[in-house]
Amino acid sequence: MPPAAAAEDNYLTHGRGILSWALTLDHKRIGVMYMVAVLISFLVGGVFALLVRTKLLFPGEVSWMTKDQYNQAFTLHGAIMVFLVIIPSIPAALGNFVLPIMLGAKDVAFPRLNLASFYLWLVGAGCAVWALLAGGFDTGWTFYTPYSSTTAYQGVIPVLTGVFILGFSSIFTGMNFVVTIHKLRPPGMGWFRMPLFLWALYATALIQVLATPVLAITLGLLAIERVFHVGIFDPAMGGDPVLFQHFFWFYSHPAVYIMILPAMGIISDIIAVHSHRHIFGYRFIAFSSVAIAIFSFLVWGHHMFTSGQSGLMNVVFSAITFSVAIPSAIKVWNWLATLYRGSISLNTTMLYGLAFIFLFTIGGLTGLHLGTLNTDIHLHDTYFVVAHFHYVMMGSALIAMIGGLHHWWPKMTGRMFNETWGRIGCLLVFVGFNVTFLTQFMLGSHGMPRRYYLYQPEFQIYHHISTGGSYIMALGFVITGIYLLHSLFWGKKAPANPWGGKSLEWQCSSPPPHDNFATTPTVGDPYDFSDLKWDPATGGYATAPADGAKTSRGGH
Amino acid sequence: MSAIPTPTHDAHGHDAHGHGEHGHGDHGKYPFLRHHFDTPAQQFDSAKLGMWVFLATEILFFGALFAMYAILRFKHPEVFEYASHYLDTIMGGINTCVLILSSLTMAMAVYFAQRSKKGPLVFCLFLTLLGAVGFLVIKYFEYTHKFHENLVWGASFYKPVDEEERVIVTTPHQAPATLAEQSTAPDLSPGAASAALVKLPAADASVVKKAALGPGGLAPASGSPEQEAEVKAEEATEKALPHLLDPKMPVNTHQFFAIYYCMTGLHGIHVVIGMGMILWLMWGAMRGRYDGNYYTPVDLGGLYWHIVDLIWIFLFPLFYLIH
Amino acid sequence: MTMPMTFLAADPVGNMPPTFWMPEQASTIAPSVDFTFMVITWISYFFLVLVTALLVWFAWRYRVRGEHAEPVDGPTHGTFIEVTWTVVPTVIVVGIFFMGFKGYLQMNTPPQNAYQIDVTAAKWLWNFKYPNGAQSDDLYIPAGQPVRLVMRSEDVLHSLYIRDFRVKKDVVPGRYNVLWFQADNPTPEGKFHWLFCTEYCGTDHSNMNRKVHVLSEADFNLWVQEQGEWLDKIPEDQLYSKAAPKLFPRCASCHSLDGTPGTGPSWGPSNGLPSIWERTSQGLTKVDGGKPLSDLIGPGKEYETPESYLRASILRPGAHVVDGFANAMPTFQGQLNDRAIDALIGMMRHLDEFDAKGNFKGLDPAKTASR
Repeated sequence: MPPAAAAEDNYLTHGRGILSWALTLDHKRIGVMYMVAVLISFLVGGVFALLVRTKLLFPGEVSWMTKDQYNQAFTLHGAIMVFLVIIPSIPAALGNFVLPIMLGAKDVAFPRLNLASFYLWLVGAGCAVWALLAGGFDTGWTFYTPYSSTTAYQGVIPVLTGVFILGFSSIFTGMNFVVTIHKLRPPGMGWFRMPLFLWALYATALIQVLATPVLAITLGLLAIERVFHVGIFDPAMGGDPVLFQHFFWFYSHPAVYIMILPAMGIISDIIAVHSHRHIFGYRFIAFSSVAIAIFSFLVWGHHMFTSGQSGLMNVVFSAITFSVAIPSAIKVWNWLATLYRGSISLNTTMLYGLAFIFLFTIGGLTGLHLGTLNTDIHLHDTYFVVAHFHYVMMGSALIAMIGGLHHWWPKMTGRMFNETWGRIGCLLVFVGFNVTFLTQFMLGSHGMPRRYYLYQPEFQIYHHISTGGSYIMALGFVITGIYLLHSLFWGKKAPANPWGGKSLEWQCSSPPPHDNFATTPTVGDPYDFSDLKWDPATGGYATAPADGAKTSRGGH
Repeated sequence: MSAIPTPTHDAHGHDAHGHGEHGHGDHGKYPFLRHHFDTPAQQFDSAKLGMWVFLATEILFFGALFAMYAILRFKHPEVFEYASHYLDTIMGGINTCVLILSSLTMAMAVYFAQRSKKGPLVFCLFLTLLGAVGFLVIKYFEYTHKFHENLVWGASFYKPVDEEERVIVTTPHQAPATLAEQSTAPDLSPGAASAALVKLPAADASVVKKAALGPGGLAPASGSPEQEAEVKAEEATEKALPHLLDPKMPVNTHQFFAIYYCMTGLHGIHVVIGMGMILWLMWGAMRGRYDGNYYTPVDLGGLYWHIVDLIWIFLFPLFYLIH
Repeated sequence: MTMPMTFLAADPVGNMPPTFWMPEQASTIAPSVDFTFMVITWISYFFLVLVTALLVWFAWRYRVRGEHAEPVDGPTHGTFIEVTWTVVPTVIVVGIFFMGFKGYLQMNTPPQNAYQIDVTAAKWLWNFKYPNGAQSDDLYIPAGQPVRLVMRSEDVLHSLYIRDFRVKKDVVPGRYNVLWFQADNPTPEGKFHWLFCTEYCGTDHSNMNRKVHVLSEADFNLWVQEQGEWLDKIPEDQLYSKAAPKLFPRCASCHSLDGTPGTGPSWGPSNGLPSIWERTSQGLTKVDGGKPLSDLIGPGKEYETPESYLRASILRPGAHVVDGFANAMPTFQGQLNDRAIDALIGMMRHLDEFDAKGNFKGLDPAKTASR
C-alpha cells in the first residue's frame, strides 16, 4: 500500500498493521484485498495460458510438457480464470469498493458477511492449491462426468470442494448487494437515479443468488458420485451424464452473465464520464441489463446442441439464445450514441472503454454463429468457441475490469497513474488480444478441436500467430502492472474528481475517508455533468457553486 | 453522527414493516444499531430482506435436487413406486409431526421475543431444539435400519458395503440356517420382505462373492464365462439380500435410494445447522440480548427453521407417500 | 449389399476446396451449413464495420483537444432510434434462427434407407462395424449414399466430428446417439477426411483422430467384403505375422513395443521385467497391488495357461490390473474375435519378429529352428 501522503484520515490510513486489514469490516479494504487476490490469481492463470500457447507452437509432442501436463495446464487456466478471477473480479473487487460509496452509504448492509465472503474466496483458492498438491486435476473446467468421476487424478475432490466454497463466497456477495441496493439507497435516489453500474451489479447479484446454489449442489452431487458411486450421473448405473451437463450449464451459462453484466455497467459509466455528457438511453441500458439477467436462465441448453438431447430442445434453446442478442445490441448502440457529440477524453480508461465496444461487438456477433443450429454443429467444441468466449469473457469482461480499475484507481489509491504508459499498455493488450483470438476463429471454423495437445501441421501457422499475439498481450499486462505499481509510490496525488464523474464516489476525497461521507451527499442525476467545472487548482473537477444540487435529468 | 440530516424512513417506506419507527440519531439510544444503518427499522428490514434472499438460495439449492428427483422419477416411475415401500411411513409421519410442532414452538419463541418475555422465549427455543433432536434421532434409526438392510446407494445396493469385513465376522453356523429359511419361502410382498429382513443377520452377506446383480445398463456385452460366473454369484446374492429376492424389483432401484439419501441427508445437515443456531439463540436469550426493540436474530432464525420444516413437508410425501 | 440410394447426383466437379473460412465441403449438407455461416459472417462484417466506423469517427471527431474536457450537452434519448435499433436486430436474428433451424432439420433427420455403421468409441480409439460384420479403425463409407452412424461409448464422453462433412455428435455412454451424412465424391488416392474426437476425454484426446475414406459404390462393396473376411483368409501358420500388424494399431495408442511408457504396460521389456510373454508365462508381473501372476496362472488356478490370462485381459481388462497402471483399458469383447486374439497373443510370443511400430520384420531364425 502507498505510504500515507498526508496526515489526513482515509480508509488506507485508518488503522494500521496487518490485523487492521485482516479483520476489517470496511467494504473498501475488503474490495482492495479482493482486487489484490484476484490480480494474483490472474497472474497465475495467465502463466498457465502462456504455457498452453507456447506448447501449441509445436504440433507434435514437446519434451517439456507431456500430454497430461498440458491437460492439467488448460484445466487450471480455465478453472482459475473463471472461478477465481472473472466471477469475483468486478462484483467482489470493484463492486465492493464502489457500490456503497455510489449509494452514499457507509458500508454494505452486512459487512461481516462481506468479510466472510472474502475469506471463503481464500479458502476456495486454498482448495485449488490443495488440489494441485493432491496430484492435480485434468477434467477441464467444466468437470464433465463420467470423465471427472473416473479420472485417476486425486485433485478432483479438492477442486470441487473449492468451487463449492467459492460459490458461497459469490452468493454472500450477491446477497449483500441485493440488500444494500434495496435498503441503503439515499433519499432522492430512486431506481432510475442509480448509476448504471449499480443496475448491472443488481442484475448480477440476482443471478449470483439464484444460479450459484444450483452449481453448488451439482458439484456436490458430482463429488458424491465420485466418492460413493451413487449412480445418478453414471450411465452404467442407470444414470445420465447429460443430466450433469444440464445442471452444470444451468449455472454456468448465467455465470457468463455474472461476468459480462457488471462489465457492461462499468463501460456505461466509463463511456458517459469520459465523454463528459449524459448517457444516451439510460432506461434502455438499465432494462437491457435486467432482460439479459432473465434470459440468462433460459438458454443453458445451447451448450449441448451436439449432446444428443432432443432436436426440439435444441430448436427451443437456439430460439431463446437469439433473444440475448437484442439487449446486447441495444447496449452497444446506446454507447455509440453516447459518444456522439460528446467531449471525449481519449485517456487510458476511455481507450479501454472503446476497446471493449469493439471486442464485445466481435464476441457478440460470433455468438450468432454459435447460436445458429446448423453452424454450431460444425463449430461446437472447436477453437471458434474458444475464440468466441475469450472475446466475451476476456476481451469484454476482463478488459472492462482493467478499464474500471483505471477509472477508479485514483479513488482507490489516491494516486494518478502514468497516462502515456497507460495508453501503450492498453494498445499492446488490444493488439495482442486480437492477434491471439481472431486467428482462433479461423482455426475453429477450419475444424481444429479445442483441448488438443497434438494437431495437424496445417493449423500450425494460425497457432504461431496466436501464440505471438499472446506474448504481445502478456507484455501489455506486464507494462500495466509496472506503471500501476509505480504510481502507488511515485504517482501524482489524485484529486477527488479527476475525470469529471458525477456519481457519489467522486464527491468524496481520494482515497475516501473511513466512513465514506461525513454527511450524506446530495443525490442528483448521476449522468448530468453540466454543473461540473474543471478546477485547475486541484487538477480535477468540482461542482460549480451556482448550480448546486441540480436534480433534473437534463437534456430532454 | 447524530447530525446526519437524512435517511429518513421514507426512502425505505415501501418495505417498512412498521417495527420501531425511531427517527434519527438512534445510535446512542440503541447499542445494537450498527454504524452504517440510520435507524433500527432500516437495520431490521435489511436483515429480513437478507434472510429472504438467503432463503431463496436455499430453495434453489434444494430446488436443484427436486428437479433431479423429478427427472429421475419421470425416467423411472416404477422404481419410485416400488422402492417407496421400503421407507417407514410411520417413522416419517412422526418426524413430520415433530417438525411441525417444532415450527410452532419456534413461532411462539418469536412471539415471546417480540414481547420481551425472556423465560418463555428460552423455554420455546428449548422445545424447538428438542424437536430437532427428536427428528434426528428418528432419522438415525431410519438410516441405520436401512444400512442394515443394505438399502443404500449405488452398486452397494446390490452387495454389502463392508463385504470383506463381514466375511471375517461371519460365524459359520448362522448363515446356512437363515439362508434355507429365506430361500424356501420367499414372500413377495414388500412388507413381508422387509419384515423378514429384520430377522436376517448381517452375517448372511458372507455368501456373497462379488458385485453381482447389475442394474439395467450395467451389464456389458453378455455371454463371457465371467458373466456366467456372475449370474451364479447373483443367485447367491439374492438369497442373501432380501430386497433382491423380490423378482418384482425394477432395475435401477438404487437410484431411488441415491436421491433419497442426497435429499434427506442435505435436509439433515440443515437440521444440524439449525440446532446450532437455536443453541446460539438460547444462549443469547438467556443473557437477555433480545427484547421488543431487538429480536432480529430470533426472527431470522425462525424464518430459517420454518424453511427447513417446509422442505421436509415436501420431502415426506415425495418419498414416503408415493403408493 | 442393398441397392444404393442416391439422393443427389454426384457433383462432377468434385468437392468445394477450402476457403478462407471453411474447410473442404465433402458432404451434401456442407454447402447449406457454409451458406448459413457466410450469411452470418457477412452480417457480422457489416455490423462490425459499422460499429467500428462510428466508434472511430465519434472518438476522433469529438475528442478533446485541450488539456481537459468541459461537460457538453447531447441528446439523452430518442424513442424512434431506440425502437429502430431494437427492431432491426430482432428481425435479423429471427431470420438467422430460421436459416439455422431449416439446416438443422435436414441434418437431424436421417433418411430411412441409410447405410448403417455401428460406432464404438473408447479411450482412445474408434471402432467401426459394418453390416456384414467387417470392422475397421478408419471409417470407410460408400459415396452417393446416406450413411447413418449409431454410436456408443465404452467409457467417457467422446464426440465424433468430421469437419469436411460439417457433422458432429457426442458419443455418450449409456445411450445411442445417431449421426448421418452423405458424401457424394470418392476421396482421391492418398487423400482422406479427418475425423476428430471433440469432447475432451483425457490423455490422448488429441490423438483420437481417424481418417475417413469415401469409396465409390463398387470399391466400397469390394472393400467391405474383403474387410469382413480378411482375418479368416489368412492361413493358420501366418496368422500372427499377417494379422497382428493390422490389429496392433488399435492397441498402439496405449501399449508400446519398445518399453516406452504409455497408458498401459508396454509389451516390450519394461520396468526391469522381460517382454510381455516372458513376464506373463513366468508369472513375474505384479497385479492387484503386489500379487504376482504366478498366483493366478497355472493348473487349478484362476487361469490354466498364460494364454487364457492374456485373452481374459483383452476381453475383461478390469479383472486384474497391473500394478502401476490405472484400470483404463476398454473391453474388446465383441470387437476382437478368437482369431484376432490368437493373432495378438501370437505377436506377444514373437515380439522380436516385429519392429517398434508393429510391422512384421521376418521370422526370428533362432525360433524358426526350434518351431
